[in-house]
Amino acid sequence: MARDAGKDQPPSLEELSDRLDAAQAAHSPPAPRKDGAAMGRGFRIASELIAAFLVGGGLGWLADWQLETAPWGLLVGLGFGLAAGLRNANAALAEDDAARDTTPGTQ
Amino acid sequence: MSMTAIAIPKSLDLPFAPQVADPMEQFIIKPIVQLGGDGQLSFTNSSLWMTLTVTIAVAFFLAATRSRSLIPGRMQSIAEMSYEFVAEMVRDSIGPNGMKFFPYVFTLFIFILLSNWLGLMPSIPGLPAEFHTFTTTSHIIVTFALALLTIAIVIVYGVAKNGWKFLKLFAPSGLPLWLMPLMIVIELISFASRPVSLAIRLFANMMAGHIILKVFAGFVVSLLSAGAVMKAVSIIPFLGIVAVTLLEILVGFLQAYIFAILTCIYLGDAEHAADH
Repeated sequence: MARDAGKDQPPSLEELSDRLDAAQAAHSPPAPRKDGAAMGRGFRIASELIAAFLVGGGLGWLADWQLETAPWGLLVGLGFGLAAGLRNANAALAEDDAARDTTPGTQ
Repeated sequence: MSMTAIAIPKSLDLPFAPQVADPMEQFIIKPIVQLGGDGQLSFTNSSLWMTLTVTIAVAFFLAATRSRSLIPGRMQSIAEMSYEFVAEMVRDSIGPNGMKFFPYVFTLFIFILLSNWLGLMPSIPGLPAEFHTFTTTSHIIVTFALALLTIAIVIVYGVAKNGWKFLKLFAPSGLPLWLMPLMIVIELISFASRPVSLAIRLFANMMAGHIILKVFAGFVVSLLSAGAVMKAVSIIPFLGIVAVTLLEILVGFLQAYIFAILTCIYLGDAEHAADH
């Protein structure tokens, strides 16, 4: 500290901490949920929706096959699958929003 | 799906002999060593690239951690960064108790990441088709096996830790009683869809990206053989290949990350099933 005495103006603490933050931000790995990753998010939500729909329909179809109740098992299964898919997609969106709120610098 | 092979004229004088310009040809499983059962049990090009992935990952981390210096060199920095990246992910989504799952999540992440990235390497010209670059994660059976393993760990660990209370996962709290049967069915389907969505997402991303790459590459070859003016135009799909390759590097990382973090979230569900 004493060595700084002869110099004109030592940087203020705020300025130092800003520069530290900037340097740290430059060195930390990029947050994977930025806008460039929008495709990944889209794929995530789409696959959640489709997978549950397929699984619901598949289970209904299996029930039809075993119990010979066609087409009711498939229809009910697809309905439940769609509901589960929407629930999954909604959960994925909520997770995404939560992650964005806690990660500064991502919009 | 029509798979048109584009005939390539002799005048092109390429340094290697292109056989087909079929964007789906890259996904064909080709046996290298037959182990029996009339070729049903074989060491295939897929097995070869999985072995390569594991070998390269093990070799890299052995080399990177050999010196164990306080001030890390380049390789040690990469190893430490990947450790920190996954460790943070595990701690954030499972909690402080979650580090027992670190070896599994780290292995999974590195395997998927390396498979995705190795699949982007160009094939060595002149090698037989069995040894061409192959993306193991572009096959749904591979990604589905990984996803099933994750869900199996979730179920076994969840039941072992929480006993019958693991079933609370399927009964959301604070619902009117008449909605319960409906919601339990929906939650069960939602749970059963997890491995399917994990598998579909990774495989669809990798397959789509590689088809786009090969379609663009096919454009370059056909334009090059189509005459003087068209030769100049072929720079456009070529630049497209460069851009898509860069995008695929990002997608390869992103999909490995998403697979790993969803594994963490599902493991976290198993860890905390009795709490809610």
